Amino acid sequence: MHSATVRIQNVFGFFTTVATVVAVIIALSAFTSPQAPSASLKLRNVQVAKGRPHYYSVKREEYAHVRFDLDADISSLFNWNTKQVFLYIVATYPSSKASEPPTQAIVWDAILPSALAPWHQNQYIHPHPAPLKNGKRVRTSSPSYSRSKRPGIIKLSNQKPKYQITDHTGLIAKRENATLELRWNVQPWVGPLTWMNRRDYGVWKALKGGLSKPFNFPEVIGAKPADMGTVKGGEGNRGKPA
Amino acid sequence: MAEELLDKVRDAVEAQIDFDGQRLAELLYTVLLIASGVVAFIYGYATENVYNCLYAGLAGTALTFLVVVPPWPFFNKHPVTWLPSNKLSGGVSIQVDGKKVT
Repeated sequence: MHSATVRIQNVFGFFTTVATVVAVIIALSAFTSPQAPSASLKLRNVQVAKGRPHYYSVKREEYAHVRFDLDADISSLFNWNTKQVFLYIVATYPSSKASEPPTQAIVWDAILPSALAPWHQNQYIHPHPAPLKNGKRVRTSSPSYSRSKRPGIIKLSNQKPKYQITDHTGLIAKRENATLELRWNVQPWVGPLTWMNRRDYGVWKALKGGLSKPFNFPEVIGAKPADMGTVKGGEGNRGKPA
Repeated sequence: MAEELLDKVRDAVEAQIDFDGQRLAELLYTVLLIASGVVAFIYGYATENVYNCLYAGLAGTALTFLVVVPPWPFFNKHPVTWLPSNKLSGGVSIQVDGKKVT
């Protein structure tokens, strides 16, 4: 401590200790913030058509196209330590052999930023509700979709998937007992990642709903399928603005 | 001439403080950094803004550097008084158990 160099070293050294302790306290403080997410997830339509994994492939596979309705309120996941939430919908169906674990595939996903997260083109922009038949715009309690005021409210109707799904067998038609489930991954500013849970942990309540009724994949459509397009997130533009 | 100048530069860079000042400096940075950490957390939590927490913590740390690193006069209030040098007192005089050895 006799010279300036030693004092700089000592102050910096203790600063790193204090910074670490504060970071740990911030991470722990998130667990005291109550969470009560709820969601309703319904299958709207499912079609199966043949396709190719990529343009030059000679392999023909069956692809399922799942449309869904999602009405979710996960705004309580955005506590002061939440940077962003990765929200995704998983289709789960039993494998052909009973001994194998069920197959899971992601149908749709979105990156929901908190109000403070810096802008990025991959972040999800919630679509405005469609105008009514008489041309009037739907009036919503306005800030519900806004990223700055209250992120985490999602209202999607007849939503197209982002990804058509299949598995390693390439056969998905007539598979039975599939379900859709809403899941997420909370990414904090500091601290551990947390995932969707179906159990209560203190003030963190389990997700209510968010699980569709079981459904079966239909037969392959013979003729040219109706509308089996997918939507693209910002990340689909590969770095170019949407 | 050049040596004197270099000595001055070295003293300025080393910025030495006395022993009491060192104890004071250590106490000061411990208290200041802990306080800035506590204030930063409370400020960030109250405003629900993690950036406020970060900037408050960094500001407190900068203040601590400013207070502790330069050789402020209050770190040099108790200079060490050395024994007189041999040349002035005349010859080496070593005593062991009260007896004069040399």
